[in-house]
Amino acid sequence: MLTKRRIEWAMYAAFVVLIMFAPLFMDPFWLNRVAKYLVFGILGVAVALSWGYAGILNLGQGLFFGAGAYMLAMSLKLASPTSLQQGSDKPVPDFMLWNAEPGAPTELCCINKASFLWLPFQSQWFGVAMGLILPVVIAIVLGLVVFRKRISGVFVSIITLALVLLVRLVVIDAQPITNGFNGLTDLGWFKVGDLEFDPYIVPTYYLVAISLSLVLLAARLLVETRAGVILQAVRDDQNRARYLGFDVTSYQTFFFSVSAAIAGFAGMLYVVVSEFASPTFMDLTFSITMVVWAAVGGRSSILGACIGAILINVISAKVSETEGFAEAWKAVIGLIFVLVVLYLPRGLAGLAHDFVDRLAARKPGNGTQALRVTDPSSQAAE
Amino acid sequence: MAQAALTIDGLSVDFEGFKAVNQVTMTVDEGELRVLLGANGAGKTTLMDLISGKTKSVSGRVYLHDTDITNWEEHKIARAGIGRKFQIPSVFKDLTVRRNLEVASCKKPGVFANLRFGFGAEARENVDEVLELIGLTEHANQVAAYLSHGQTQWLELGLLITQNPKIILLDEPTAGMTQAETHKTSLIVNNLKGRHTIIVVEHDMAFVREIAERITVLHLGQVLAEGNVEAIENNPKVREAYLGSKGIS
Repeated sequence: MLTKRRIEWAMYAAFVVLIMFAPLFMDPFWLNRVAKYLVFGILGVAVALSWGYAGILNLGQGLFFGAGAYMLAMSLKLASPTSLQQGSDKPVPDFMLWNAEPGAPTELCCINKASFLWLPFQSQWFGVAMGLILPVVIAIVLGLVVFRKRISGVFVSIITLALVLLVRLVVIDAQPITNGFNGLTDLGWFKVGDLEFDPYIVPTYYLVAISLSLVLLAARLLVETRAGVILQAVRDDQNRARYLGFDVTSYQTFFFSVSAAIAGFAGMLYVVVSEFASPTFMDLTFSITMVVWAAVGGRSSILGACIGAILINVISAKVSETEGFAEAWKAVIGLIFVLVVLYLPRGLAGLAHDFVDRLAARKPGNGTQALRVTDPSSQAAE
Repeated sequence: MAQAALTIDGLSVDFEGFKAVNQVTMTVDEGELRVLLGANGAGKTTLMDLISGKTKSVSGRVYLHDTDITNWEEHKIARAGIGRKFQIPSVFKDLTVRRNLEVASCKKPGVFANLRFGFGAEARENVDEVLELIGLTEHANQVAAYLSHGQTQWLELGLLITQNPKIILLDEPTAGMTQAETHKTSLIVNNLKGRHTIIVVEHDMAFVREIAERITVLHLGQVLAEGNVEAIENNPKVREAYLGSKGIS
């Protein structure tokens, strides 16, 4: 039983080593691409946490991703050279000028009615802080309303889905301060001290890779705490947990918020590597795509969902660039999804688990009922 | 005279005009095992729902010792010391049997108090004892979903025992069980006698005879009679309303 747990941690270690050495084999173009996929891997972790462990199928994870992305993008927009060349000594986003009413002062405070909201974003770290705070605040408010009312299952999915579409509309509509459906482009680079994170350099890749490793580790440890186990109990039977004295709402809200924070963090990293933020982050298709990644990788495995996200994106990239598939690649991805749901309901992670179980069963006197019996600690990762 | 563990005073509920429980008053003493009898629709399960907070009452009070727990939220009532087993067995099916019990052993209910690893040595001992008591030691590392119906019922009983509440509410603990399983359940329940105050809703007369001390008979949402097995058997009103003319057999 202990060996199984060791194998699991070995998988995590192998994955981290793999992404750490990947830059040795890639040109800057692929390095940037893979960095984006690793960001999606972080999103996979967020989905696994809320869907696999909390049993909350959030079809609006893009809301948290988008919130994180926009918060940092606002800061990076102000750090962009073009924002400093608009005829003011303080930065002003170029799109605000294009749409300014005649005679409006070229100042962030009052170029339009809501532009003052941008003022604190002149500090990059304010943007970073807001990129975590905003998703968490939304998640807490949403969680307290939804979970206190004991709304569960498909209804939570519908509410989150509606909400992400609503916010997307608002963002597009608030054109004077969000640049509408064009999103925020032409951003400056993220800076830490003297280090500028040009998206095509190796340090930027490592920023993402180390972030992903830390998120993986933290999420895995979190679900192994007592609270993580109780959360799984809540997922299995809310009522039973309630009648054992647990405040179900607070558990659901807490883990929903953690998932939101991870998604917001991923949104910020995505802005760093892709240099834009746009309302497409809050498209329905994107939120559903995340769920597909997690389903393929294995929603009840943190590492599985993460690998699922990366794998599907690598496959999409390859297939979409293969001649003859340029048009049909989405169908290919759809087919993979259907096949996985039909034949691998626990995703690739489930397949890996069964494989390890079978190996363990082959050893004499070890786990005669390997498929049924799993030790409590490894259960958490299934 | 033993101290009253649970006092129900004039409790009523109204489902759009239908009074499923109507002016029920009863007192259960510390350490007592009380059986609730009654035909379908007599209000037995509804009474349990009212005690455990699942349904809110419209009038009357419920006291746990001296604490008024009327219409509290479920998890608060549970923390105050009332554990409940459901008619349809509910356990955490994707967790192992041991994990199930560990969750129940958790003393602190809050999220932040539980952001730490392991359930502690005390919990492990407690869990081992309970596993022994409910006879699932060999299945400790099995996922609960693979347990048989009877074993699932015992596991849920085990959750309650681990939680160690002052009062245990059991809603048809032998529903769907074989005779042998029913007997084993009665052994478990008898083992709890004295340590906990227990209220059981049950139809199975063989089981009732094995465990019962005092019986309260409900009929159309009201208390019809109260007494020991013999007194209930011979009570003409009870015979008429529930047992028919044949008595408890």
